Amino acid sequence: MTQSPLPEVGEDAPEVPILDLRGIVKHFGPVEALVEASLIVNAGEVVAIVGDNAAGKSTLAKIVAGVLQPDAGEIRIAGEAVTIPNPATAQKLGVATVFQDLALAENLDVTANLFLGRERVLPGQFLLADGEMEQTARRVLRDLGAFIPSVRTPVGQLSAGQRQAVAIARTLIGEPRVVVLDEPTASLSVAQTAEVLLHIERLRALGLGVIFISHNLNDVRAVADRVEVLRHGRNNGSYPGGTVTNEELIAAITGAVRKGPHLSAYRRDRK
Amino acid sequence: MSGWGSGSQTSLREANRASILDAVARYGGLTQVELAAATGLSAATVSTIVKELAGSGLVEVHPTSRSGRRAQLVTVARRIGIGAGVHIGHRQLRVVLGDFSSEVIAEQVLPLPRDHLIDTTLDRAALLIVDMLDRVGSSVDELTGIGIGVPAPVDRATGRISVPGVLRGWDDESIDQVMTDRLNTPAWVDNDANLAALAESTRGAGRDHPDFLFLRASYGIGSGVVIAGRLHRGYAGTAGEIGHIQVDPRGAICRCGSRGCLDTVVGEEALLRPLRAGYGTLGLRDVVSRAGTGDPGCSRVVADAGETIGAVLAGVCQTLNPQVIVAGGELSEAGEIFLDPMRRSLRRGVLANVVAPIDIVPATLGTRAEVVGAFAMVLDHTDVTHRGGNQR
Repeated sequence: MTQSPLPEVGEDAPEVPILDLRGIVKHFGPVEALVEASLIVNAGEVVAIVGDNAAGKSTLAKIVAGVLQPDAGEIRIAGEAVTIPNPATAQKLGVATVFQDLALAENLDVTANLFLGRERVLPGQFLLADGEMEQTARRVLRDLGAFIPSVRTPVGQLSAGQRQAVAIARTLIGEPRVVVLDEPTASLSVAQTAEVLLHIERLRALGLGVIFISHNLNDVRAVADRVEVLRHGRNNGSYPGGTVTNEELIAAITGAVRKGPHLSAYRRDRK
Repeated sequence: MSGWGSGSQTSLREANRASILDAVARYGGLTQVELAAATGLSAATVSTIVKELAGSGLVEVHPTSRSGRRAQLVTVARRIGIGAGVHIGHRQLRVVLGDFSSEVIAEQVLPLPRDHLIDTTLDRAALLIVDMLDRVGSSVDELTGIGIGVPAPVDRATGRISVPGVLRGWDDESIDQVMTDRLNTPAWVDNDANLAALAESTRGAGRDHPDFLFLRASYGIGSGVVIAGRLHRGYAGTAGEIGHIQVDPRGAICRCGSRGCLDTVVGEEALLRPLRAGYGTLGLRDVVSRAGTGDPGCSRVVADAGETIGAVLAGVCQTLNPQVIVAGGELSEAGEIFLDPMRRSLRRGVLANVVAPIDIVPATLGTRAEVVGAFAMVLDHTDVTHRGGNQR
């Protein structure tokens, strides 16, 4: 944390969110995917996004990842207004995303997958810095607490949970500030889910902001600091992950309870 | 890698054996191909050494498949069967599998939501046990018993929580019966502080102390009482429930229905409340880890909790006169920041004797004490059944 002009109340009281989306609008023809949606993510915070199918969860993730462009709205990263025209820019800005299909190359080993498209080269040569990449791969997997015996194993031979771990580890290569996980626990066994939830806790402990998109309210409430509900592309409530109940979340997801923009409580920095 | 220096063939083989055993133990189970990758040895070397190790009974080889191909899964050798220990905490589930040489062969933690429900959590615990058995190349047939620890007093005869309301959503069912039906395996349930006390008394900080108190300072406060080397559960299993001793006659109403219990003053909710304005959302484990790195606000909260708990412990110690208090649970992970104020307020409140002042020491098994105790309960019960069988 850099020098701040404000007096320190707690360690991170005068905080600028790492990611701040405001009034995001996205239409696909007549479909309103997102309507004035907002989202704030702070460093070391796990923000879960829940909602019914077609509530706009994945659209929001794709906008953050630079895959889709918003029709209107503002994106700020660490306080600076930015546009994210493509995934490469997202990566440069420190936003790393793991999509549902993971996008891993089955025939390549773990290290090659981690560095895919950004392989490191030995200085002054055309040769790949294999040793260095393997070392980094081992370190990143260890930081994550991942359960993968060898970084030379082809990804095709790994279990579903291990692949998820590789996909999450890949986000750590570019020294990101925000990691977006789109349904990371869908179709995993309980043991694999446990691993992924522990990975999320590790990312948080490393000081990253995590966006965790999921249908499973138990998983969400287990690790999220804050739960944001989307309904028909609109924000429909923001709840503290440690104390919210399943009943409250279901009411917000289904629309039994409706709320307006609910973010003011989290703008601690600008009252 | 002590073998490198001498360079002889024998010492090289010793080093290779050690690195293979090490890899198998770390991952629970690996195929021979994975072993070669993990150790950097050739497939032929791995195959030879695994055959040797299997011959001397150190590892076992099970046929399995990896991405459709046949493979040889290598696991640590087990004696007789496998027992499962389950600790159901307020915010996480911890499961260990161990064999009858009382070695832990697999361990997994699953984060849980606040106020999780009995049906969902026991279902996930059962599935997690099955997943973990699969990971070490075993199956439910080999499972001989399940020990379960819960953060509430338990009536061991019925397997139910003996004080309603203390663990929300868990009151109406027999916990051991649900698990027995799910996995068709005998199951036993006990209070987690009792199990941790058992674990610490047989293989931890209480080993040399026939009279000690295990303090479990976690999301709520509990304790396990060991008198003359035996766990004292009390008539209805509520012995040691120090979280429900009144410390503030005008305090908040506790989950149990009383007013101003210790839990309402130093439980999770009470510890986080004063930090919320300055720190935003923090969990109990965040507070402990920040206190450990010197954050003044979090340190203060943890230290004050230690002082309050110490005063309550003084009353308990006046009655029981233990030699030592073994401190476990998440709060104790903060170390001396927590223990030192607790020790001082404890000593202020107990009768000084000429033999030795009462001390507080950290739990040797840390936050794993509960699950290790749950696993140990399976070993104990299985011994009893064996003996019973011989008598008949």
